[in-house]
Amino acid sequence: MIDSILLIDDEDLFHLVFEDACSLLDITLSLKSLTSADEAEKLFRKWFEEGTENKPECIFVDLNIIGSSFDGIELIRKVNYEYGNGFVIGIISSSSDVEEQTRALKAGAQFWIIKSDDIEPRLEEFKKDFKKYKDRTQSFKVYK
Amino acid sequence: MIKVDKHTRKVLIDLHKNKNVSLEGNILKVIDPDGDEEFAAYIKDSIDKDKDNRRRRLEITKQVQSQNKELYRSQKENDRVNRQLTKALDEAEESKQSAIKAKDEAIKAKDEAEASKIEALHQKRKADKARVEAENAKTVAENDLELLQKKTQFELIGTIVRVALWVILGVGVVTTLIYILALATNLDTTVIGSTWSNIIGILLTNAFSIVGTIMGVKYASGKNGEE
Repeated sequence: MIDSILLIDDEDLFHLVFEDACSLLDITLSLKSLTSADEAEKLFRKWFEEGTENKPECIFVDLNIIGSSFDGIELIRKVNYEYGNGFVIGIISSSSDVEEQTRALKAGAQFWIIKSDDIEPRLEEFKKDFKKYKDRTQSFKVYK
Repeated sequence: MIKVDKHTRKVLIDLHKNKNVSLEGNILKVIDPDGDEEFAAYIKDSIDKDKDNRRRRLEITKQVQSQNKELYRSQKENDRVNRQLTKALDEAEESKQSAIKAKDEAIKAKDEAEASKIEALHQKRKADKARVEAENAKTVAENDLELLQKKTQFELIGTIVRVALWVILGVGVVTTLIYILALATNLDTTVIGSTWSNIIGILLTNAFSIVGTIMGVKYASGKNGEE
């Protein structure tokens, strides 16, 4: 089971879907959700500067976060290059654009999960791979 | 794992039996029944109930999400386009600023070139002035040199004239003295008398010739200097 997860997605309904899916699949006991990349950046900066222990173990970031000043890939780049690169981090998006996936990979994303009505099988597969992501032995993977 | 005391377990089980109210959520996953079979059944029942509720909620949420999908997709697309537009505007603004900066630099360079040109003209004028002054100085020096040469020439001529006049005067005086001596001693003066008159005539002629030559030279020098 993943110790704690942070979800950054502007869609409130998806927060409910993700929370229920995580609970049903026993993926994590601790889930925090944010709706803005700017809000998330503040949190990452705080964690990076203060070095607090309550950091999430895994982060799921939406690609296009409405109302934010930058997109999910830019947030991943900031997390990896400015705020310590200490998380398992990737994209969760309905997009399957290969160019965006390449951009995400360059920014340091470790996975790309495609959102759909049937998210649970993908999360379950991700749960199985999580240890390898944590050990940094798993290469970039797209969960279709 | 959390262990729950006997009283709390009893209260929770009774609440579940009598009012169908039970614990829900992830807390159920961290409670240890501690060998209590009835409480373990309660926990299992509560977890199943929680999962059922979550499944139902998940289905409903997915349905609502599905209904909103098109609207949401449009919102996402709008946001994406807006972000691209903002980025493009920012880039355009940046390009504009760069162009303004380049223009300012070009104007500054032009001003500097103008200033350099003016400075060059100024220097050229100074050089011209210096050249004219040098030429004037050269002319003055040449004039001075010429004057010095003329002065030297005049001095030389003066010396020659003085010497010539002294020679003329000396010859005249000597011849005259010899002639007077011959007259006083009653010697034959035929030769000396004609010689004296010849010499006096020649000397006078030469003297006037010298004076005429000097005057002519002086006149010619004065005319050249004026030109």
